[in-house]
Amino acid sequence: MLAPRLPGTACDPPGGSGLAWGGPARRPEWSPCRILLRIVAAGGIAGTGAATFAAPQDFAIDPAHTHVHWALKHFGTSTSRGRFDTINGAITLDREARTGSASFTIATASISTGFAPFDGLLRGPYLLATTEYPSAYFVSQRFTFDGDKLASVTGDLTLRGVSQRLTLRALRFACRTDTEPAREVCGGDFETEFDRSAFGITHSLPFVADKVRVLIQIEAVRL
Amino acid sequence: MTMTKTLLACLIAAGAVTAHAESVTYAIDPSHTFVTFEANHMGTSTLRGRFDKKEGSVTLDKAGKSGKAEITIDATSVDTGVAALDTHLKSKDFFNAAEFGTAKFTADKFAFSGDKVSEVVGTLTLLGKTQPVTLKASNFNCYINPMLKREVCGGDFETTITRTQYGMSYGLNYGLPDNIRLLIQIEAVKQ
Repeated sequence: MLAPRLPGTACDPPGGSGLAWGGPARRPEWSPCRILLRIVAAGGIAGTGAATFAAPQDFAIDPAHTHVHWALKHFGTSTSRGRFDTINGAITLDREARTGSASFTIATASISTGFAPFDGLLRGPYLLATTEYPSAYFVSQRFTFDGDKLASVTGDLTLRGVSQRLTLRALRFACRTDTEPAREVCGGDFETEFDRSAFGITHSLPFVADKVRVLIQIEAVRL
Repeated sequence: MTMTKTLLACLIAAGAVTAHAESVTYAIDPSHTFVTFEANHMGTSTLRGRFDKKEGSVTLDKAGKSGKAEITIDATSVDTGVAALDTHLKSKDFFNAAEFGTAKFTADKFAFSGDKVSEVVGTLTLLGKTQPVTLKASNFNCYINPMLKREVCGGDFETTITRTQYGMSYGLNYGLPDNIRLLIQIEAVKQ
């Protein structure tokens, strides 16, 4: 059963969000309005009978501040880095119930290392095979929180047609309110690592490492 | 016996002298040499970018534990993956690439830990201003590249620069940081 959509946004000032209301240092869930709503929700005065205060909010990712960077060791010496430039996705976050879900599509051909011949090799049949597998996907329905803070996101990464469970660790996560344009933005840095051989990408092993470190920058705008 | 000992000592000394004089030049491999910068964006996420065009060479004397490096970075090649942001970074607000087309790192002091480079001390010239910079090596290694059939030396280096020291202060008042972390991948091929 879906959690009832209690009036979480009722505490937000018109045209802004709860974050702006109490100032950036003040957690919106502890604003007087939200506390009142919590009491109302807990006491069932609102008549919903809901045990938890749920306020799922939808976010669209900001492509200018969302990138997947990867790093792997080259000949045990230096770290080669690259990124994927085209990422689409949506996030639903319920900061009250401490749940969330996310779905990302990564255009594999948007890989960029800064060295064109590499990009061509990476798109080719021995590595990402981008013609056959133009998209990689990450889908998660498990957000874990450490207190109020988003701690990790667990989901399935599908790369080159192979799906593997991955946990992204949240290194930092914060929400802010922009004034121009007026909007709430949530985001942070996430990291994980995986063995590329688990997705069938074995070219250049062992000279180029199997272990891929992934650093993800995400910013998402509340809809 | 004494004669042999003396001869041996002379040979060792000669060997040591020869080793000390072994200064080798390496040309940087542009496919494995990148400067990536990291900047916290408005207290939320980390923005990353890199410079795609660079050239330079490194002289290394492994026995004498010394070295020199000179790397020129093309400021117009800044690449974040977002064209509008790259244009802004190239503008007068940040790198002013029209006026200062290149940034330059020059080093003449290499510190070693055992036989590995541990630190490279030099200067960075950015926006026409030169400031001291120390790169810390988190990994240094030399290997024979099977494709090139030549020795390649390199590793990962990092430092944090304060951009206002170079006169770059745009956005400080609304949450863009002054301290910028630089992650540098270098591999250089023996000439």
